[in-house]
Amino acid sequence: MIPLDELVLFSGLLFSLGIFGVLTRRNFIMLLISIEIMMNSAILNFIAFAAYSPAGNSLLEVSGQGIAVVLIGLAATEVALGLAIVLALNRIIGSVDVADAMQLKL
Amino acid sequence: MSFDIPSIAQYTPEATVFIGVILVFMLDVAGIRSRAIIGGATSIFLLLAFLQVLADLGSWPLQGLSTLPAGLLGTQNGPVIFTNFGLIFQGIFLLSALLVALASVSEADGEEVPTFYALLSLAALGMLFVAISADLIFLLLSVEITGIATYVMVGYTRKDRRAVEAAMKFYIIGALSTAISFFGASLLYGAYGTTSLTAFRALPANSSLALVGFGMVAVGLGFKATLVPFHMWAVDVYDGAPASVSAFLAAGSKKMGLFGIFIVFVAAVRIFASAQGFALYLALGALAVITMTVGNVMALEQTTMKRMLAYSSIAQAGYMLLGIAIDTPAALAGATLQITADVLMKAGAFIVVGAAVGLGVGPLITDWRGVGHSRPGIGASFAIMLLSLAGMPLTLGFVGKFYLFFAAVEAGGYFTLLAIAGLLNSALSVFYYARILRYMYMPESTGSATVGAHPLSHSSLGVGNAPAAPAWGSVRDEIRGTGSARWATVVGIALLLLVLGIYPTPIIGAMNSAAQQFLTLGL
Repeated sequence: MIPLDELVLFSGLLFSLGIFGVLTRRNFIMLLISIEIMMNSAILNFIAFAAYSPAGNSLLEVSGQGIAVVLIGLAATEVALGLAIVLALNRIIGSVDVADAMQLKL
Repeated sequence: MSFDIPSIAQYTPEATVFIGVILVFMLDVAGIRSRAIIGGATSIFLLLAFLQVLADLGSWPLQGLSTLPAGLLGTQNGPVIFTNFGLIFQGIFLLSALLVALASVSEADGEEVPTFYALLSLAALGMLFVAISADLIFLLLSVEITGIATYVMVGYTRKDRRAVEAAMKFYIIGALSTAISFFGASLLYGAYGTTSLTAFRALPANSSLALVGFGMVAVGLGFKATLVPFHMWAVDVYDGAPASVSAFLAAGSKKMGLFGIFIVFVAAVRIFASAQGFALYLALGALAVITMTVGNVMALEQTTMKRMLAYSSIAQAGYMLLGIAIDTPAALAGATLQITADVLMKAGAFIVVGAAVGLGVGPLITDWRGVGHSRPGIGASFAIMLLSLAGMPLTLGFVGKFYLFFAAVEAGGYFTLLAIAGLLNSALSVFYYARILRYMYMPESTGSATVGAHPLSHSSLGVGNAPAAPAWGSVRDEIRGTGSARWATVVGIALLLLVLGIYPTPIIGAMNSAAQQFLTLGL
């Protein structure tokens, strides 16, 4: 079995990768993917901690997995909404580039 | 595990709002798109829920009680808890939604009307759940219900480029903050083996994992509450969104983020007070002072009304954060009072800005020249809101700030510095509020000279320009320009600010006892 600290390290790396993507990418679709990677790193954490919960604490184990399932649903909802927004934006400005949507001055 | 009737009866406000959401969707299917009907129905459901919350506040037992079966969502203590503090915030959230619902009745009809009202109620429903949550996952999911509803609300006018751009920015920041706070929650789950906020408070500070976890949850909620390093989105979104949506974001959804920070940090402060000691208080205090200073300084140099109000809204978040940074019942009660005042002031101010088009006033601050004379009702109401935002006596804004700073001085030592920083900031903020007042009540001679350059406002002024004393004819014009529902809402908010500012005793009493109970008895 993979040790817990390696799993947590891996999810930490995934999270950092997502943050890096959000900070560097300018394409809305790539931003969506980066944010999804961050969400998934949180989900992975929940599953990892649940799998390594102290023996006998079945409630703890189940709850981590339950939360993971709920979060997968939440992530799907968010992506659906993000795609709807990118469609509306693309219809108006003809681009999915965040840098093109800068009419509101920063 | 069976549902008994009393346990369902405790969710009456939530159920009322939810039925309102379903009803609006049904009306949409039936082809009814009139703002008067749909907005009226939504307002009635929100009002019923608000009255229910007020009734509950009077009768609820002081000791918080948990109602859902233990083990749901994996917590030993149940994800939901009813406290007076939470109920007061339910009332605040419902009030913000109700004001926006009432005021938007006066906007133009269109096919998006049912969508707007359904999403408004849905966002209010998410906030109601935030106010009763006792579990971190339940809290974050409820925040997300509101989040998803508000992302759509910002961009619900799909043809408007600025609104869709604002929706995009809001969505990216919102989704990012959600991911960060859930990652933090997963670390807390790993450190403590539970996600129950009530259980956190009894646990020792055993690992740095928990500290990082709390930090990330705070960052996620800080985005919602527009605390300073995470505030950049707010100005653009409030600027680009339709004014009624901006009103709801500034009055409602931001307070939800602050409430989330309150209930998470009440646990964090207890856990780390022994281990980290003073550092956590210092960090929270610094965050509050930086937030109010940046908000006020940036507001000084804004030229458009909406962006100025957005920055002033950021500054207000700094004052409210003092409540948890000082961490005494009096300070928390003061912050709650300030939050109540801000809901009225910010919702009112954005509604007035939304009505500006109907009044013939442009988006710039200089466009408001002479409005106080030509539009006596709206002008006077807006002036009261601005005075309250600046913290002038006889308004609710003064009472809130007074209690907050008084509590800081009472706590003594380092907290006195926070009070001084807050007072200096209040003084600073008077400058930009007074500037608007000066424009609105400029002498008629200079006023009409510049108004003449503005064809729109001149034509709606009527013949002979505004007389020195406001005549009833001009008030009737004004009501026609803004719409009677919106006009009544604005004037009502201003009157409420004055009445509560002069006689705040009943709500102060309720907030004091609720804050006391919140800090001592546990969530």
